[in-house]
Amino acid sequence: MRSSSNERPGPGAFAAVAAIAAFFALFLFYPLVYVFNKSFIVNGRPTLEFFELLFKSPALRESIGNSLMIAAAVTLLSAALGLAFAWLLSRADLPAKGLWSNLLLFPLILPPFVGAIGIRYVFGRFGMINILLMKAGIISEMNPIDWLGSPFWGVVILETLHLFPIMLLNISGSFTLMDPSLEDAARSLGARSAALFRTVTAPLLMPGFFAGASIVFIWAMTDLGTPLLFEYRAVAPVQIFNAVQATQENALGYALVVAVLLITAAFFMLSKFVFARRRVDMPAFGRSAGRLVRLGVPGKVAVCAALAVFVLIALIPHVSVVLVSFSEKWFMSALPQEWTLDYYGKVFTHPMSYNSVKNSLALSGLAVIVTMGAGGTIAYLLARKKFKGQGILDACAMLPLAVPGVVLAFGYVQGFFGTSLDPRVNPIPLLVIGYAVRRLPLVVRALYAGFQQTGAALEEASASLGAGPAPTLRFITLPLIRANMLGAAILAFAFSMLEVSDSLILAMEEKFFPMTKAIYMLMARLGDGGMIASAMGVLGALLLAAALAAAQKLLGKKMGDLFRA
Amino acid sequence: MASVEFRDVTKRFGAVAAVDGISLTVERGELFFLLGPSGCGKTTALRMLAGFVEPDEGTILFDGRDVSRLPAHRRNVGMVFQTYALFPHMTVERNVEYGLRFRKTVAAERAARVAEALERTRLSGLGPRYPSELSGGQQQRVALARALAIQPDVLLLDEPLSNLDTKLRVEVREEIKRIHQEFKITAVYVTHDQDEALSLADRMAIMRNGRIEQAGTPAEIYAKPRNEFVAGFVGETNLLDGTAEPRGGAFGYATAAGWVPAPGEAANGRAAARISLRPECVRLGAPEGAPARGVVRRVSFFGGSVRVEVELKNGATLSSVSLGADARLTWREGDAAGVYAEADNAVVLE
Repeated sequence: MRSSSNERPGPGAFAAVAAIAAFFALFLFYPLVYVFNKSFIVNGRPTLEFFELLFKSPALRESIGNSLMIAAAVTLLSAALGLAFAWLLSRADLPAKGLWSNLLLFPLILPPFVGAIGIRYVFGRFGMINILLMKAGIISEMNPIDWLGSPFWGVVILETLHLFPIMLLNISGSFTLMDPSLEDAARSLGARSAALFRTVTAPLLMPGFFAGASIVFIWAMTDLGTPLLFEYRAVAPVQIFNAVQATQENALGYALVVAVLLITAAFFMLSKFVFARRRVDMPAFGRSAGRLVRLGVPGKVAVCAALAVFVLIALIPHVSVVLVSFSEKWFMSALPQEWTLDYYGKVFTHPMSYNSVKNSLALSGLAVIVTMGAGGTIAYLLARKKFKGQGILDACAMLPLAVPGVVLAFGYVQGFFGTSLDPRVNPIPLLVIGYAVRRLPLVVRALYAGFQQTGAALEEASASLGAGPAPTLRFITLPLIRANMLGAAILAFAFSMLEVSDSLILAMEEKFFPMTKAIYMLMARLGDGGMIASAMGVLGALLLAAALAAAQKLLGKKMGDLFRA
Repeated sequence: MASVEFRDVTKRFGAVAAVDGISLTVERGELFFLLGPSGCGKTTALRMLAGFVEPDEGTILFDGRDVSRLPAHRRNVGMVFQTYALFPHMTVERNVEYGLRFRKTVAAERAARVAEALERTRLSGLGPRYPSELSGGQQQRVALARALAIQPDVLLLDEPLSNLDTKLRVEVREEIKRIHQEFKITAVYVTHDQDEALSLADRMAIMRNGRIEQAGTPAEIYAKPRNEFVAGFVGETNLLDGTAEPRGGAFGYATAAGWVPAPGEAANGRAAARISLRPECVRLGAPEGAPARGVVRRVSFFGGSVRVEVELKNGATLSSVSLGADARLTWREGDAAGVYAEADNAVVLE
């Protein structure tokens, strides 16, 4: 029980808390309250018309239903894959674990809306698969199979491929934390495999499992880019996107946004407070290496073959986007007929794409400054000060995990209509802030972990040697959390470059388009639009891959913690 | 060098008073110990001296000057942390030099001061290394050198030996004693290890539940513990129940180990009292004619000494510690033994 006088917030800390509170009030709560107000108060009177609308409108019901089904399917698939892979990597004597671990995490680098571009070329009516089937004489050219007739499974598969690594990271984290001697102890007390899993292993995996699952669920339910590129309109995020273009008083849009927010918030709360209420703390001492389950030679061969097939399938979107980006001509043939590097050049010469790259670099750079400033302050206040309301501050910083990007962006457009921040006039300030708000949980977590590792004793030692707060920050604290700062900044930058919902919704004029919006607009163009979009997507994926690799190096095993709810 | 004074100091964490109205003076140049079990408030008291914790009530004075509200970095206090808190991103030299950067020390003098601090803590040659490249004992000495390099008015040591193994602990203990004598510095040392306190302290205070139970030199406290807690915490002791029984005109208490004179207690005249009798004040001998008798229940050999536990007639167990070879050979479990207590060295507790 140690507490310091310098833990008591001084005037500086009060000012910081006030500034952070104002930031949250303006850019997180105000837009949400505005949306709620609009849906529940009509003509100055509270009303529940909104609920009626929800039940009456078949379009609304259908889009919410579809989104819920997508989210459920993606969550279940990701959970199953994540659990199986995590078990193989942590508890079985799988050969070449390092390699498999990297290969299985690799799909994470491809944003699903980029993958969707490639998938359209592979599974389109005259895409690679159908052409191959036609050449083999299995189907006729008159009657191509409509693989993407229902885009539902396309969306589910692409999102699953992107999101199951998050489940894998979370569940692996729980396996690593779990002391294998606990399982040994249960075995020695007579628990057999099934009972062991039910009574010991599963309960200890729960917190990590649900922390990952709620992120995956919310992500899948509210992902805008993937269904948009599949032209799958009957889902909630696309409906919201369309509603933004409509008038201020479009009740349908408000009703949808509120419904989506309530669903995601409920799911978030449920997973956080009911399923994962306690993060089980396990003693760090005397951890035994644990016995690995022996797969045997046939088992190993079978498992490795299955993993290889899975990895190959998982890489289809990646490979196909790369193919598209290099293809000069690709029509009515299995593979491109001619190859070219031109489209990578065009990314930097075509006015729309070049401009969008410049915009994205500037916007993401500014967003990193804002999110590091706000996130750093919050993490410092949480780790080093003691005051009432810390729980609220922490909850606010994590709230963007529960508030979908489309919801917040919709709130921005409507809430700031006619103000000096109106994105219809100039979306730059709100794009920067939107990117920054969305990255806040990640930054706060990474920096908080840094402060925790550094420990207050070093700062106290510095103070006792005569260094005031400013030199202590400069010479001790900042140098020691440099790796965490760098890791957080790199990830925040890369994710901002690939941010979809804010970019698509807030940037309305071409001169303000960020990369993701340019990719979307280019896809709709005939001619070389799809190829340039693919080249941009490949560059984006490379950026994300480099950022994740760098962050992994800087943050070490802690990186998995950044993808939790 | 400064004297240090706590004047009616209280610090609460929530409803709990971690430090509960303590008053205490540490003289200039003294090596003073705060000794007590964990949670007794000794670390909070030390952290108040460092300036990491502000007292809720009372004042803290350095040389009579009120420093209660002075922030840590203005106190000129050197602190050795339990975990050493060496800056991992700086070499040994840079660690030791760190505090000098915030003082008006010219660069040339800084280097000399660092070299001197390293030399006096026997670290010369290790300057360019990083803390992670040093052994535990060496890290400990760097922490000491860093704290001493700023020529602090007061040196604070927070359980500085708790992360060392037993053998090293005794070595570093002597090192700290030597350095303290060499630097002639006021030092406050917090520990729960009575051996450290007894062997190093000029004076010490025993703390429990945020209060000071007793303060004095180690010899005073060992010889005249004020109450049961102090008697039991500092050294080993036998606690006996005594009943008032004047004998030959003198006031005293009758116990299972014989009669104990208590001339100082006559004025109080308590009918019953607890009595502390150190094991080395209990000799065992022939049962015939002994003031008390018992049966040997356990003989424990400690190399230099032997402890024999004797069960007295009333069922109480009495420990006797003696040095030398004879005792070891003489007693076997089950033997009948006569108990000869050095009654003059028994202490009547409050």
